[in-house]
Amino acid sequence: MAESTLITVRELTYRYRQKSRPVLQGIHLDISGNDYLLITGRSGSGKSTLCRTFNGLIPHFYGGVLTGEVFVAGAPVDQTSVAALFNQVGMVFQNPEAQLFCRSVAQEIVFGLESLGLPRQTIEDRLRDALDQAGITALRQRDPQTLSGGEKHLVLIAAMLALRPRVIILDEPFANLDPANVLRVRRLLRELHAKGCGIVLCEHRLSRAAPDATRLVVIHEGKIAADGIPQGILANAETAWGLETPLTTRIGASLGLTPLPRSIEDMPSIPPQPALIAALEPPLPEAFTHQGQPPAVEVDHLCCQLGNQPILTDISFALHPGECLAVVGANGAGKTTLLRHLIGLQRPTKGRIRIKGRDTAGTPISNLARDVGLAFQNPDNQFFRLTVDQEIRVGPETLGTIDNSWIEELMAIFHLEAFGGHAPYRLSGGEKKRVAFASALASRPAVLALDEPTAGQDFEFRRNLRNFLGQLQARGQAIIIVTHDLTFAERTASRWLLMAEGRLLADTAPGRIMADPALMARAGLEATDRFRLAQRWQSKETRV
Amino acid sequence: MFDPRTKLLLALAYGTLIALTRKPEWLLGEWSLLVAAIVVMNQWKVYLRWLAMLVPMALFFGGVTWWSTDRATGQAAATSLMAITTTFFVFFASTEPEDLGNSLVHAGLPFPVAFVMTAAMQFAPVIGRKARAIVEAQQARGIALKPGWRALRNYPALLIPLLIQSFQLADALAEAMEARGFGRSGRTFRKVYRMRMLDWLAIIGGWGVVAVVLRYFAR
Repeated sequence: MAESTLITVRELTYRYRQKSRPVLQGIHLDISGNDYLLITGRSGSGKSTLCRTFNGLIPHFYGGVLTGEVFVAGAPVDQTSVAALFNQVGMVFQNPEAQLFCRSVAQEIVFGLESLGLPRQTIEDRLRDALDQAGITALRQRDPQTLSGGEKHLVLIAAMLALRPRVIILDEPFANLDPANVLRVRRLLRELHAKGCGIVLCEHRLSRAAPDATRLVVIHEGKIAADGIPQGILANAETAWGLETPLTTRIGASLGLTPLPRSIEDMPSIPPQPALIAALEPPLPEAFTHQGQPPAVEVDHLCCQLGNQPILTDISFALHPGECLAVVGANGAGKTTLLRHLIGLQRPTKGRIRIKGRDTAGTPISNLARDVGLAFQNPDNQFFRLTVDQEIRVGPETLGTIDNSWIEELMAIFHLEAFGGHAPYRLSGGEKKRVAFASALASRPAVLALDEPTAGQDFEFRRNLRNFLGQLQARGQAIIIVTHDLTFAERTASRWLLMAEGRLLADTAPGRIMADPALMARAGLEATDRFRLAQRWQSKETRV
Repeated sequence: MFDPRTKLLLALAYGTLIALTRKPEWLLGEWSLLVAAIVVMNQWKVYLRWLAMLVPMALFFGGVTWWSTDRATGQAAATSLMAITTTFFVFFASTEPEDLGNSLVHAGLPFPVAFVMTAAMQFAPVIGRKARAIVEAQQARGIALKPGWRALRNYPALLIPLLIQSFQLADALAEAMEARGFGRSGRTFRKVYRMRMLDWLAIIGGWGVVAVVLRYFAR
């Protein structure tokens, strides 16, 4: 064991209570306090489970069967309480809502310090330092539950920083953050690492996480499939383990570049290779032209106000059958509020919405639900039946629109045939999402509306979803997607509505929106790697 | 100004005073004092929202009492309910639950008990938000969940996801608390809660008034 090694894992195998198969098998790993370690793998590969062994939550909190050994600073975790380890290994979980249990940011940060039994003055000093380091001093007295997603994560990181742990573990911190907040959290993590704090990041979105990591571990089916410097591993990550490798890395691997670039910033100056982008990336959707059909959705000067606060201001657009439209923007831009208007969960203060030519004003939600199928971000909000099949049927049964052959077709489109008799709550996150999408479509609505469908989902899910949506579009389904995942939006929709602060900034092709840096900055977004690279090469060709 | 424990004892004293009062005009006076305090604290908007929920309850309570006794008793019962609940509105508007919990820990209450009390208050709005999100998700599928008998058969569509998510939330909360040393002994507190002379005088004064009322005025 090297002297700087903080966490040592030897032949670790772990099985959860009431599960027949182990989640982790024969894990062998050393983590030093100097690592910026990215642990990646597909959903369900065992990443989060492994991290929970580093601070003793497994086995102490979860029970189950653990064989092998995990040591933290020389102490065996199975014989050391979580309370004795928490100031060495700080952990930030995926869902910030449940981790923020105090009434103010300051109290949230000092909770761990009070647990340590530190003197008052030390607590005050560390609170001040942690707030300062995380750049959230202004939030000190705020109620954590009222903060944005990015701010919540910064508060949680600050709560860990105050403990001065040797390593901080973050489980999918970017899952629900918009690009601006991802950059904010990434910047803080880089600063912490530079100051000597070890970082362990669990993430499957490699383009966001890989550029900063000094070491990469791939977990595949509960085993360590690769462990080393990121450049050495990323080249094979897509083919070998089904991970989404950054575009620049794939281009670098095709051209034999060393070291492999992990981001646009890493990309060396090479002759433009636009054909390579076309070969490595899926084709972009073709521009949609409607054949004179009437629009499925018409939104006309829509305004929405809550109290004196304008939430949506003068939004107008139309969506035709067979068209896929992405509504993009940062968190809080008003995207979900716009979707809620389509189905009558919120009503316009001014302006009109027509679905299939009929004004929604005064139409009850139950009637609008026949024409607009809406799948919210969290599928757990809707499951209450015993099986997937019953769950998908419940909407059309209530509305009196049941069509058995269509339900069977939907089960096939979303690859749910094998799960028909399963309990929805027992499915994985991606499978639950598919059930929610099928459920939204079960009444054959004219419009399918998806709210952040890719949040927290891995590469395979996102690729499959693109295919599902393509099939639906080909059948004439009008689709509207709300997302801040621009890579997915670029690959799926030929038209974007760009929103910021409740206003529609642009309604045009993705390329035209991303080509306007001022517009993108105003919306708090960053162009996709594909677009940035193509633009960089295009400008180079122009110069030549 | 006062220690949270003092505020709690004063709220209890004022509540007892209201409970001892029978005349509706006196009760109105006691309630008016509280409303004046709410206006001074600039909490009247929150109070108005709160009243929207409380007034129907008080009217029902007063109506039932009137029906079973007489009009004056019914009026007194309704006003008394309004005044007592307003007392605790003022108390919670002026006292952070964490301060109350921590100060009670100083007075000997076990920390886990105090924490459960404050966490319950913190998570009540979170559960409320979850319930709203579930109602909307079901409405979007055409399942009516508005209050009423007709929607009663649809209530499993709200209650089952809410129950499951509440358990999930409780699990995640427990895990997060463990990861921040909840179970560790020797806890210290950033804030110090000390009962000063002013606190003792307020408590003696408040409960003294209750004792006087009890001795000379209460029937």
